[in-house]
Amino acid sequence: MNLLRAIAIAIGAFIAAPMFIVIPMSLSDSPSFAFPPTGYWLGYYRAYFTNELWTTPTINSAIIATATMFVTMALVVPASFALVRFRFPGRGLVNFLLMMPLMVPHIVLALGYYAVFSPVGLTNNHIGVIIAHTCVSVPVAFLIVSATLKGFDRNLERAAMSSGAGPLRTFLHVTLPVLRPGFLVASLFAFLHSFDETVIAIFIAGRDASTLPRKMYESVRLEADPVLAVVSSLLFTLVLIGTAIAAVTRKRPVHAT
Amino acid sequence: MNVTAARPADNPTGRKAFRPWRSRANLSAWTLSAPAVLFIAVLFVYPLLDVVVISFTDPTLSLVHYREFFSSPLYSRVLGNTFWFAFMVTVICLLLGYPLAYVIVRYGGTLGFALLLVVAMSFWTSFLVRTYSWLVILGSKGPVTKLLAWVGFDPVPQILFNSFATTLGMVHILIPYMILSIYAAMQKIDPNHLRAAASLGATPFQGFRTVFFPLSLPGVVNGCTLVFIICLGFYVTPVLLGGPRDQMIAGLIGEQIEELLEWGFASAMAVVLLATTMALLAVYNRLVGLDKLWG
Repeated sequence: MNLLRAIAIAIGAFIAAPMFIVIPMSLSDSPSFAFPPTGYWLGYYRAYFTNELWTTPTINSAIIATATMFVTMALVVPASFALVRFRFPGRGLVNFLLMMPLMVPHIVLALGYYAVFSPVGLTNNHIGVIIAHTCVSVPVAFLIVSATLKGFDRNLERAAMSSGAGPLRTFLHVTLPVLRPGFLVASLFAFLHSFDETVIAIFIAGRDASTLPRKMYESVRLEADPVLAVVSSLLFTLVLIGTAIAAVTRKRPVHAT
Repeated sequence: MNVTAARPADNPTGRKAFRPWRSRANLSAWTLSAPAVLFIAVLFVYPLLDVVVISFTDPTLSLVHYREFFSSPLYSRVLGNTFWFAFMVTVICLLLGYPLAYVIVRYGGTLGFALLLVVAMSFWTSFLVRTYSWLVILGSKGPVTKLLAWVGFDPVPQILFNSFATTLGMVHILIPYMILSIYAAMQKIDPNHLRAAASLGATPFQGFRTVFFPLSLPGVVNGCTLVFIICLGFYVTPVLLGGPRDQMIAGLIGEQIEELLEWGFASAMAVVLLATTMALLAVYNRLVGLDKLWG
């Protein structure tokens, strides 16, 4: 049916076009949101890379996302082993607790963190944001790690053990190498989840730990800074590169559900 | 293992069979999950409980904030708005997302792959970036305004900062969730079912209506649940694209804290939002099973 094909292409264009608009916008010489741009220059790119008001939040976001990734994985990997490999009293509750952060609207969490963190000095502070981001990243990483673990063939471990390897050797030389790709994907998701998180950061990051999404939000809301177009097009370019790599290497794009 | 053989004499029902290896396994499982459980309990559950407590106790122990929220027409309008937007956005996402997922799965080929790439790209692009794009597109110096002026509108109607812009932006941001949910369900449908229907004399449309569509419903339910729930608590996009009359509950909560420092009232609204979300998820859990939502 050609009509259906045309409809699908139109909807695809509706999804794609607004994202591509950020690239010409970032090269615009106009200080306001005029489209199509009146002229082109690279000045706002220089402004982004040299202005501390933009570079500091970018660095903060990188630090917070990296720390979130490590803490999340340190919590999630052992817990996933427990939940996938053991049936124990309280298993259902543990599973529910780990999934819960995915069910709570971020604005509610932001309020809770603001109330609990400000008396103890964890607002306006990297640690506070890392804690909050770790909580919301745990379910995402847990879904991926436990799915990887469920797909693991335990006969590989039995074979290693029966050939004389101890539990530690088996884990390091058999279990870990097989699971590594899944762990890497989970780490990437945890990193990106933190890097993209906006609402909690708006409320608790303050000036000192301001993240990139927080700065972007403020810049839309308060000043309409044209550097925003540069940040947007850099972020979009990263996604383009990521999608291209996924398309070429896996013949199937990565997506989360 | 044979449970009956290990059953101790004082436990004839055998419901709690005596299995010595069990307690060690339990201990390992608890030790492994303890760090994550403690972290979430202290640093996630406690702040949430605090919100609930504040809603009842700030400044004094009372239900005053809840009474205010449910009795004032201003706040009922915000609550009504929230549900109306969530409903509209979900319906539009479904109407646009279903045919797209259908073409991706059934037509495949280069077109299907390209469309899937576009959806994945949109999914991964920060929603702030996409919100910014809509500010440009719908703004007073944007292409849509120019087009309307060219067509002959004078004065050109304001298309930003109203319910239209909010709906459009939210549809654009949430449609990947809908498409990916439906796509996941459609991909599991065995094409042989459709061939069987055709060989029994069904027209392509009959085959779709009686075979393909019912089998794709789990994805539709998943997508609608996800989009509706994310919409209910959406903060950033309605605040940036909507006008003051289109405020949703999350925006109102934010405003109450940032500008008015009304902690008790903000917390009461947060509890209402949380309870609504949890109730919807509980219904979903009853009907489908929560583990399938993010599957």
